[in-house]
This record gives sequence, C-alpha cells and structure tokens, in this order.
Amino acid sequence: MSLSFIHSFQSERLKTKRSLALWIVIIGGFFTPVIVTIIRLVQYKTLPAMYSSDKFWMQLWQNSWESMAIFLLPMGVVLATSLITQIEYKNNTWKQLHTTPLSLTTIFFSKLTVILVMMFQFFVLFNIGIYLSAIIPYLLVSGVPYPKAPFPYLYFLEQNLFYFIDCLPIIALQYLISMQFKNFLVPVGAGFVFWFGALASLSWKYGYIIPYTYTTFLFLKSGIANKAAIPDFNFHWLAVGYFVVITAMSYALYVTKKEKG
Amino acid sequence: MPDYCIQTNNLTHHFLQQEVLHEINLNVETGSIYGFLGPNGAGKTTTLRLALGLLKKQRGAIYFFGLPFHENRISILKKIGSLIESPSLYGHLTAKENLSLLQKVYQCPKERIQHVLNLVGLPDTGNKKASQFSLGMKQRLSIAIALLHNPALLILDEPTNGLDPNGIIEVRELLKKLNQEDGITILISSHLLAEIEKLVTHVGIINQGRLLFQGTLDDLKNRQQLSLQTVFETSDQEKTLRLMSDHNLSPRVENGKIILPSLARETIATLNQQLVANDVLVYEISVVKNDLESIFIDMINH
Repeated sequence: MSLSFIHSFQSERLKTKRSLALWIVIIGGFFTPVIVTIIRLVQYKTLPAMYSSDKFWMQLWQNSWESMAIFLLPMGVVLATSLITQIEYKNNTWKQLHTTPLSLTTIFFSKLTVILVMMFQFFVLFNIGIYLSAIIPYLLVSGVPYPKAPFPYLYFLEQNLFYFIDCLPIIALQYLISMQFKNFLVPVGAGFVFWFGALASLSWKYGYIIPYTYTTFLFLKSGIANKAAIPDFNFHWLAVGYFVVITAMSYALYVTKKEKG
Repeated sequence: MPDYCIQTNNLTHHFLQQEVLHEINLNVETGSIYGFLGPNGAGKTTTLRLALGLLKKQRGAIYFFGLPFHENRISILKKIGSLIESPSLYGHLTAKENLSLLQKVYQCPKERIQHVLNLVGLPDTGNKKASQFSLGMKQRLSIAIALLHNPALLILDEPTNGLDPNGIIEVRELLKKLNQEDGITILISSHLLAEIEKLVTHVGIINQGRLLFQGTLDDLKNRQQLSLQTVFETSDQEKTLRLMSDHNLSPRVENGKIILPSLARETIATLNQQLVANDVLVYEISVVKNDLESIFIDMINH
C-alpha cells in the first residue's frame, strides 16, 4: 500500500467529520438496539423467563436483525454511500481534489475504503448496541438474571462477516452511480428502485440475480426460509463477484470521465 | 531563450461541435505574473481546466516546467497551487480542517496551516464552518489552500471575485509579495484589465477562444502609445486635409472630425498657425489618450 493512499485515506476520513453519512452510521448502529431495549423495558414482566432461555442470544440476534437486514441496512448503505461521494459534488470540490498530486486510482480507492471502513464502524456499533440491549434491562429491572446462555461469539462473528459481504454489491453499485451523477436524487432514487425490486423478487427463483437481495436472504435463511426463494448455493460468493465486477466498471467509468471538476 | 513555467502548443478544444479554444499557445515565463484576460465566456477557464487536467485534452500539448503534463501529472501538481472559478471548500468543516485535509495529502508541515491563514487575513475563524463564511472569506480561504504547500506556480482563476475593494488591494499586495520574495510564478485570470494591470508583468488576451495578444505589460503599453490620436475640428475640412498632406501626414475623417496619429506639440502648433493663416477656423484640437482598458476592449471587439 503506497504512502499516498494512506495520506489520501486520512484526508477522506477527515471529510466525513460532522457529515450526514457519519450520523447515519452512528444513529443507524444504535437505532434498532434502542427500540429493542425500550420494548423489553415496557414488557419487563416477560424478561426473567426470556433471560433464562438457552436461546436468549440467538433470539436477540434475530430480533435485532429483523428490520435491519430487510430495510435499515440496505437503505443505510444506499444513503451513506451516496452521501460520501456527494460531499464533493455538494461542495464543488472535485476540481480541488483532482488538482492534488494524487493518482485517480488513489482517489477512487481511498474514497471506497472510507465507505467500507464506515460500514465496518456501523457493524461494530450495531454489535455493541445489541450487547447493550441485552445488558441494560438486566441492570435496570430487578429480578432479571444475567443471560444464562453462553455468548455465541463465533456465530455472531460469522453472521457479521456474511452481512458485511452481502452489503458489498450495494456499496459498489451505489458508489458507481453516485460517482457519475451530480444530482443526489439519482443514486438515492436508484437505490430505492433496486431495493423495491429486491423485495418484489424475493420469492422469484432467480431473485438472487438482484444484488440487493442478499442481506434479506441471509436473515430469512436462519429463520423463516419458506418466505423467499433462497438460493441453494453459497450466494455470498455471488455478492463478492458482483462487488468485484461492479467496482471494476465503476473504476473504468471514473478514470475515463471527460470532465473531472 | 526564456524559461517557461507553462506552455501550451496549439491547444484546441470543442464542446459538442462548437470550437471553444482555437490553437492557444500560452507562454508563461518563470518568475512572471501573467494576467490572462478576456471577457466572460472567452475561454479562460476552459484553458486553465485543460491545463490542469480537469478536462480531457483533445488536441495540442501542455507543458509545465518544461515537462509534458499528462506524463508527469503527479510531480507537476505537487508544485502547483490552484483556484479555479468559485471556491472549493468543504462547507461542513472549519477553515483549519479544510487546510488540514490537504496538509495530509501534500504532507507539508502543519505549521503551514496557520501561516497561510495569517497570510490571507483569516488568522482566527475558530469553529465557524466554511459554509457560514462570506464570499470574500471563502475566496481568501481558497487562496490559502492554493498556497498551503508553498507551490512554485499559482494558477488563480478570477481570485478577487467577491472581494471588497480593500480585499482586492490586499490580495494584489499579497500576490506581489509572493512573486517578489518567494519567486512564485503566478497566472491570474480576470475579465477586468484595470483590476490586474497594477499587478502583472505579462499579459495574454483571449476572446472567443483565440489568443489575441501575448507579451509583456510594456508591449501592451507601447500599443497604448501607438493608439494616441490628435483630433482636429475646423470650418474647412478640405483645406485642412490638404494642409496636413503638405506636412506628409496621413489624416482620416471620422464623424466629421479629422484624426491624426500622435503628433509632436510643435507640429500641432505649426498646423494651428497655418490653418489660422489660411482663414480656417479651428474649433477643436484635442489629444485622445486610450487607456489600457480601451485597448483591451478595442482588441476584443475587432
């Protein structure tokens, strides 16, 4: 990794300070855990039995990911990715960026890396949130025991990895669109259309060709699999393939763009 | 042979079918302050955007410091500070943060941030975000950004836009100082000659995508000298013209007045004496002095 990439990455990171994209990551990370915590505090009478269950962590994981996998995560990725590239359009700074001594490759990949790191941050915050949503009711409600079930580290890590991988095609496609269009509504609108398309095609046997379906497939696979035509092959590889191909296309379009600011 | 900081050879550019630049041969001497002049839409910004690689080059060649731009883009851009059109600032960040993110890219000393803020008269804007700045403050911060890495060449596209008269004078003095004390070559574009004639050493005039003049400010001033005219208005135009021809002068008639090129004071006095002696009434003898602005306007209008 060249030094100029690291410097460019640091610069790109600084641009996200106080940005809406960063707030989406922080708020998005804690949104569902806060809702789960509130519901549990409201239904406090059910907590002692729930916390004694052997499946406590698995149930918490499923509850937390329900709205996240199907709605919040794809939408959050659409918005955060589009907002990161819009920082340059909105501030009219592409021309400034393109007259710095950085190669186009460095600029392209440092921006993409910032988005990936932000997604990683989101996963970290979300997992912290999930843990806190388990611990806060235990601390606040008397008579609630500490969860009896062992904490499934490996399962959580594996699932996090899969969700992260399944987000990659969404990131790549949103990045491609938002790098090409100045109007913020284009990438966001396209993101919504793809997401609706993904929801509509969940029960279609070829639904997996739409790259926005994978997070939903992953969630449904571990619970209510009969509600969707979940592919019987390892679709995470398809997500990786989409990511690589779309990123390559995005890079080619970016470097050959006639106007750079 | 002069040492050129920027050279373009036959730079030509089309937007769709329309030719917006026609064989531009820009020669910016190292150490100079080059005023790139032209009315709005003349092709100044397009030339500068092409030179900096913001537009894809179609025809012609671009050299910086004697090196072809596209083959040496990164090493050349390390030595250039630029401000193209409106300010390019991250509105959600403070002045220091805007400079800090470029300091990371250029890897220049952190002390440069405060130094350039002091230079442009923005020593302490605190936590105020750039989006809350006035246009003048944004322009100053953009100049600070261009100066951050202590470049050898500054390219400034209409940098005084939005500045009040005091601000314009301050920026002019700052640029002069940078040129004289630090040896920075400056290319500054403007649509007003009056605004930059006190600053520049060289001038290039562009209109409708064609470079009409390029040379030193003194060359342009010589043109001003050549453009001085003496105007006569008399009661008998024919007799006056004949008398002037006898003195080997080449008068022409415009709007009922007789126009001669710049004349010596003695010649004017002699002509006047002879006109009076020949019973011609002299209503007016005046010298029309064209300023640089009128030469510039004359150049872009013809």
